[in-house]
Amino acid sequence: MKRTLAITLILALLLALVSMPLSADGHERWDGADDLAVNPLACGMGDEMMDEGDDMEEEMEMMEYDGGMAAMGDMDMAGMDIVVVDVPKLIGIGYFAATTLGQQQAAEELGNVSVSTDGPTDANIDDQIQVIDSYITQGVDGILFAANDPVAIAPVLRKTLESGIHVVGYDANSEPDAREWFVNQAEFNGIGKALIDSLVSQKGADASFGIVTSTFTTPNQARWVAEMWAYADKCFSDLDWLETLEAQEDAGLSFQQAQTLINKYGEDLDGIIALTSVATPASADAVNQAGVCEDVAVTGLGLPNAMRPYISSGCVQEVYLWNPVDLGYAAVYVLRAVVDGEFKPGDSSVMAGRLGELMVVNGSEVLLGPPFAFTAENVDDFDF
Amino acid sequence: MQETQNPRNPTASEKLQRLLISQEGVLFLIMLVSVLFLATRTDKFLTIDNLLQQGRFMTEIGLIAIPMTYIIITGGIDLSVGSILGLTAIVLGWTWQELGFPLELAIITGIVSGTVAGFINGLFIVRVGVPPLIMTLATLALYRGLAEGISEARSARGYPEWFFQLGQGEFLGIPSQLWLLIVAVVIFGIILARTRLGRALYAIGNNETGARFSGLTVNRHLLFIYAFSGFMSAVAGYIFVSRVSTTRSDMGTGIELDVIAAVVLGGTSIFGGTGSIPGTMIGVVLIQLLKNGLVLAGVTSDATIVVIGSVLIFAILVNNFIQRRSGES
Amino acid sequence: MSKAKGAPVPRRPLHFIGIVLALVIIGAYFLLPFVIQPERGPSTVAVLTESKKANELGLFKTGLEVIPLAALGILLLGIWNVIAPAAERAISLLMSVAGLLVIVFYINFFRDYAADEATFINSLDIAFWVMLAAGVLAVLQVFIPRAAPEERYRITKLFGNQESIILFGLLLLIFLIGIANPRFLQERNISDILQGNAYIAVAALGMTMVIVTGNIDISVGSLIGLLAVISGRLVVSGVPSPLAWLAPLFVGAGIGAFIGFLVAYLRIPSIVVTLGMLSIIKGILIIWTGGERVTDMPADYHLSQMRPLGIPMPIIIMVALTIAVALWMRYSATGRAFYALGGNAEAARLSGLSRRRLLMTVFTLNGVFVGVASVMYSTQFQIIQVTPPPALELSVITASVVGGVSILGGTGTAVGSTLATLLLNFIRSAMIFINVSPFWLKAVQGLLILATVLADLIRRRRQRL
Repeated sequence: MKRTLAITLILALLLALVSMPLSADGHERWDGADDLAVNPLACGMGDEMMDEGDDMEEEMEMMEYDGGMAAMGDMDMAGMDIVVVDVPKLIGIGYFAATTLGQQQAAEELGNVSVSTDGPTDANIDDQIQVIDSYITQGVDGILFAANDPVAIAPVLRKTLESGIHVVGYDANSEPDAREWFVNQAEFNGIGKALIDSLVSQKGADASFGIVTSTFTTPNQARWVAEMWAYADKCFSDLDWLETLEAQEDAGLSFQQAQTLINKYGEDLDGIIALTSVATPASADAVNQAGVCEDVAVTGLGLPNAMRPYISSGCVQEVYLWNPVDLGYAAVYVLRAVVDGEFKPGDSSVMAGRLGELMVVNGSEVLLGPPFAFTAENVDDFDF
Repeated sequence: MQETQNPRNPTASEKLQRLLISQEGVLFLIMLVSVLFLATRTDKFLTIDNLLQQGRFMTEIGLIAIPMTYIIITGGIDLSVGSILGLTAIVLGWTWQELGFPLELAIITGIVSGTVAGFINGLFIVRVGVPPLIMTLATLALYRGLAEGISEARSARGYPEWFFQLGQGEFLGIPSQLWLLIVAVVIFGIILARTRLGRALYAIGNNETGARFSGLTVNRHLLFIYAFSGFMSAVAGYIFVSRVSTTRSDMGTGIELDVIAAVVLGGTSIFGGTGSIPGTMIGVVLIQLLKNGLVLAGVTSDATIVVIGSVLIFAILVNNFIQRRSGES
Repeated sequence: MSKAKGAPVPRRPLHFIGIVLALVIIGAYFLLPFVIQPERGPSTVAVLTESKKANELGLFKTGLEVIPLAALGILLLGIWNVIAPAAERAISLLMSVAGLLVIVFYINFFRDYAADEATFINSLDIAFWVMLAAGVLAVLQVFIPRAAPEERYRITKLFGNQESIILFGLLLLIFLIGIANPRFLQERNISDILQGNAYIAVAALGMTMVIVTGNIDISVGSLIGLLAVISGRLVVSGVPSPLAWLAPLFVGAGIGAFIGFLVAYLRIPSIVVTLGMLSIIKGILIIWTGGERVTDMPADYHLSQMRPLGIPMPIIIMVALTIAVALWMRYSATGRAFYALGGNAEAARLSGLSRRRLLMTVFTLNGVFVGVASVMYSTQFQIIQVTPPPALELSVITASVVGGVSILGGTGTAVGSTLATLLLNFIRSAMIFINVSPFWLKAVQGLLILATVLADLIRRRRQRL
């Protein structure tokens, strides 16, 4: 029996040692984007962002419409009242509460659209599919979605189109042919460039940094990392990419992972890039509580309300995000324009109420605009 | 719904009465009431198309609920089913895409690895004596971790058309996977109710030591049902991949609680010894119909889970009450 | 099991193995050449370290201190062995652990060696092999059969309960990881890990009591989310902070009492009740808040960020509650009754304990602990996230169970559950510090949970014999 105990203890130790061969080199870059093509923007800082936008348009004009088409109904719904349901990744989090707000604003302005939001209570691909399927059966006129998985959601969306229901995505895309249009909050490569540029401008082109992301399998985050990687390779090859850590969409875990980065790399850590609107304030809090605001720059994607305390205190210089209220708002306008027949495949722009004219990119995506930088000067002007 | 035979040949009305106040009977009535109620709220609910579609969605949970019923009857539990589902999906996709296995072989490899995963649970539970809840709590983390590690967060997609037949196709007008569920329910329902294996499971659940002393090969039975649980989770994983056409390492997260909810709703006692496949299936169907019907009736998901939680508690409460009453009389 | 009680154990050559091994290792370490360097020729480890510093190569960045430390340990054990031959089995086990540390050094050496393609090492020299052989021998000697020891020298006395196994595992983990990456040991890191998970430990205390009575609570995750938002909204609406801290305790107690009522009086199994409550509470939370996070709490609300006497508040709460619960469960009549209830409900009933009242008590108490945990959670940051951490209930249950709480009820302690919470979260952090590939983090965690559980099980089986 003693022998067994001894062997167990030794086994436990060996298990700990086994982890060593499994070790990744800390410097190994992580990219969970399924090897999808990356398209890094040209190097350069700040104002050139807009020029890049122009380049992109030229490039994109060559792309044909690759979205799907809703089956034609018996009735032309143009101008008539429509019922739209919005199915976000999950309900009960601040980000999608903001997109819902934007949708309600748009519905109020238009007057002939009624939007309701319903989605899974966990970010679960299967629950989302079932919710959408139920709404097909219920018979709505349009569905807005933010996909938990681009491929998994495609079959049910194709079924939606076949049933004559118009489908517009926002925030997280599906396979292009499974929906009509996708309202893209900001291009992946734009985000990648903005975040790397932000880090470089604060800490120099040889900074070392870690990333706090949601999970490795979350498509948007994976693409952002891939684009950051590609852009850094192209423009700032001296950047030292320390580590990428998962933190779900969990404030506590994000906080702890940021602490781990700070403690593990000590003075070698120059920056943390946080890729979720939960992780960015949590990382800022970790840096703040550790008293290393001077040494570690936090940048990433964050909502102004959540980031205000850290930006005001000077601990964080800037974070990026699109306006999620505008994103929801634009999605409803795009759907309305599609139903009215005012926005057809091949068009190069669409009018979206107070947002004005939005450009079409990548064949069937409507671009909201470049990511917006929230800084100490402007953070108090926003409330979402 | 197979009750023990009464020696004095009960009349038809007595039989009916006994059926009505059995666990399954009461639950069935609750289901009937909910369905009728939902049908009055929306005419989209009680249609063949919608019901068949819901059958498609509940197949994975239904398949896993069968071995879960077996396991809970013996007084055990298996929390790792969701992780085994995810592991199977990943092994299937990875062997096909990264190792270049033919897809048929990849499917078999996936199902075998799921079965092995369940077998390992059983081995530790039986041979080492780890309590089932603790063992499967540990492998819940371990198998999910393996799925993540093997896949390195990559997903496998782009399967050939025939692969989707099971998950998205139809056979004789009924979703293909629903056939599988029906066959499995019939076979394993009969096994539980009518065979020596079934009776052995009840005996183990009622009194494991007693069952051991009366000469039952308890260990072999337990080993079998945990491996069976792994196998069914693996089959569910294959169906799931076929239905959603991609693999992700987080597939099936949290499904264990859905399955357990359906099983206990179906009248299986968490302490072991009682339960039946028909009851479990009524539980699975009831939850699925509530989920779907409430959405169709205009209730949003957040309110739906409140209703489902309440129904779960309420149904057990009513059943407890009726069983105690009928036990007293 | 046969006990060689009183029979003196003769001194045999085997008893000197520790001293011999230790002297060999120490001698080889300081005197014999370890590697051959192109510029300096044969060099001992010490010289190698010097030249490494001069060359500023990354070699030997880890593990260097292990060899002399382990050798010293083996030496002390060897001396002990000669003095007290009766304890040889216990000593041999500890010695093999020290031997493993030597091997850890070699693993680290090879990792650096391979990573840096150490160009300034021509070949390995005699000391390399001598020390490796000695380390392996120190590990293998545990398998040499030895006489059964006296009762008081049994190593298992040291590991007589789950708490000490976990504590030992925790210290070993901290020690090993500290060697691999000294930054893990900095005070801030240890304190960060303790603070960040203290709320899970507090919730696990309540869970431990529930499980001891043979029940379970799956709804804790949702409940923490709900209570945190209640507390946050109260304080934002102008209620003084102390009241906002207390409110979740009362609401938690109320919900706990409701669960207890369903379990105790209506006889619904706790797993069913709490499974239902899990979705009910979650649904209500989403309907009520719509996902809007709570912000703009007053500065004095942040209980978890306070540091009275320089010690972070969460650590104080965690330690105080753990001690309180441990004492209460051991010495109070109700606390002991919980064990009786879980161990043998029938016996408990016959001894005049009201099963119903006990169940009400335990679930209400659990609600209070969840309330405390939720306050610790909600006062951690400047904002309160509405959705609670996913699968929080599983973390809490895992902590309780790994801490030695038998799911069948009847056994388990507060100290064990708190230590287990710490162990599980130290593991998570430690894996990052030793650069385990992020994709394999969860798998390694799962393996280690399994290992902890197995260690406990083998102890139990041993004690039963």
